[in-house]
Amino acid sequence: MQNQIAKYRKEASLSQQELADLIAVSRKTISTVETARFTPSVIIALKIARHFNTSVESLFTLQEHD
Amino acid sequence: MSKHDIQSEEKFMGQNAWFSLFMGVTLLIISVYPLLAQTSAPLLFLGTAAFLGSFFMFVIRGGFTWKMKYHLTYKDEYLNTIDTIAYKHVVLGLLFSMGGVYLFSDDLALEVSHTMMASFYLAVMCLIYGASIIWQSKD
Repeated sequence: MQNQIAKYRKEASLSQQELADLIAVSRKTISTVETARFTPSVIIALKIARHFNTSVESLFTLQEHD
Repeated sequence: MSKHDIQSEEKFMGQNAWFSLFMGVTLLIISVYPLLAQTSAPLLFLGTAAFLGSFFMFVIRGGFTWKMKYHLTYKDEYLNTIDTIAYKHVVLGLLFSMGGVYLFSDDLALEVSHTMMASFYLAVMCLIYGASIIWQSKD
């Protein structure tokens, strides 16, 4: 599953730590979600989407093998 | 969960991983060296001292008090996940090391005590837990 979180985060001029603090998760969570090593729960996906005022579908994209 | 709680968890996990590695190495020395050197008492004393030293260093560096509370699970989703995966790695490592001992123990049986074997298994578990957490924590 690919995601656009890094793009949204950079557009908002936020560091990984700042975004992590804003949605109350660890920096490692943001780091590993951005690099697609970790698939977050629906709750975290919704929190990130809500923070960037967008939908979960615009942040995360399913790939063929998912 | 507050920002401070999460940062404390991240800090604790990192220290826990390094502590596990140090403890694993100490236990490995305690369990293996006496077999090679045909002695046990002096090293057992040194090993115990090293273990207690590293434990108290861990407690002091972690900022814990005697009233410290350990939580069995991490509240942060990612930390909790890698902790669970690390335990799975520990079980796998333990199975492989027990399998190895099962295959080769007859050659060692006369020289290896139960204490040394128990220390060896604990060393394997600690080393794998620490290494797994550090490996999974990389960016």
